[in-house]
Amino acid sequence: MKSSLKNMVVVLFAITAIAALLVALVNDMTKDAIAASQLAAKNAAKFSVVGTTPEEATIARDTTRTIGDFDITVSIVVRAEDNSLIGYAVEAPSITKNGYADRITLMVGFVKEGNDVIVSSVEVLSQKETPGLGANMMNEGNSLERSVVGKVAAELIFAVTKEGGSFDALTGSTISSRAYANAVETAYAGYLWATGALDTSEEAIEEAMEDAPTGASMTNDWEPEAQEGDMSNE
Amino acid sequence: MSKLQIITKGIIKNNPTFVLVLGMCPTLGVTSSAINGMGMGVATMAVLIMSNIVISLIKNLIPDKVRIPAFIVVIASFVTIIEMLMQAYVPSLYASLGVFIPLIVVNCIILGRAEAFASKNGVVDSALDGIGIGLGFTLSLTAIGMVREALGSGSIFGLSFADSGMPLLFILAPGGFLVLGYLMVLFNKVAKR
Repeated sequence: MKSSLKNMVVVLFAITAIAALLVALVNDMTKDAIAASQLAAKNAAKFSVVGTTPEEATIARDTTRTIGDFDITVSIVVRAEDNSLIGYAVEAPSITKNGYADRITLMVGFVKEGNDVIVSSVEVLSQKETPGLGANMMNEGNSLERSVVGKVAAELIFAVTKEGGSFDALTGSTISSRAYANAVETAYAGYLWATGALDTSEEAIEEAMEDAPTGASMTNDWEPEAQEGDMSNE
Repeated sequence: MSKLQIITKGIIKNNPTFVLVLGMCPTLGVTSSAINGMGMGVATMAVLIMSNIVISLIKNLIPDKVRIPAFIVVIASFVTIIEMLMQAYVPSLYASLGVFIPLIVVNCIILGRAEAFASKNGVVDSALDGIGIGLGFTLSLTAIGMVREALGSGSIFGLSFADSGMPLLFILAPGGFLVLGYLMVLFNKVAKR
């Protein structure tokens, strides 16, 4: 079609107006469903990390602890029929160690076996690591998952193996792996706090995390790690 | 040009990755594994078919001088709508393809085909062109992803054949350029016969 000022203005206006209207309509139509499905995914993770399903269990209580800008949410999962304890699902971010691109958030399950607290399962809730490298933490049976699941939480050393820890780092993704270890450590601290094994004052939690039995220093990593130009060390 | 020819042209003679060299950002960005390459390809193909159809339907209503902004608005709103619908009603599909969808907005293959084909051809031919180019893109990305994954992490489609000692370089950006370059040479050598 030949262009004139009039038809250009009219057509562009009409197209943008229709497009804006459609996007707004669809947004309105889907936003509840999107929020519901995100919540459902998170809720499903609460059950699956302690090895159960929403049909067999319910959440007895959700408690959220805020430290600085971060939320740690501890959910107590109980059997539906008799309200007996199955375990704790803890949603926690990596607090002192950033991933390669952003913080990562994990859902970690803790169950009691005898006198020991076992890490029953770990699910990655959010991460923005590099596909093919750090993002492999999403894969089932990756080396990080293998190094914590089924282990006694109190015996874990929250650092990667080459720094003396118990976390077998993903190939070429040391920074992502450190963040993962840190998020599991945060989750464990949240568990200890929720079960009363820890002084509940904020100072005490922070102190406890600093003196975590790992010997790994938790305070000197606030500066962003040297990431650019050090590709082999993600 | 027969209908079948439109499709095969998109795969070989007008292969978007190795011949037209369009959409290089997503190509280099997501091909660190075969399954990622394939996911990006399939998502792009879906958007490309739909956007080609829409553009060929409204092509006579758009004044020539504002066709590019008009196409971009149509494509961007289209992709946004697809993303929201997927996230709301097929969350499992969104979980695996969702990361690729926003990248499609800036994929110049979509705009390139709107401009070069859909704005000059009918609805059926435009849809077929979308299928052909989409298949070409999917196959190319899967091929690059397979080579990078095999050389870099010792697996194909996640099936591991070597645990360690593979050159990590191929997963990182430089490996992407290398593999793309060599596959481009190979493809053009074979296709020109």
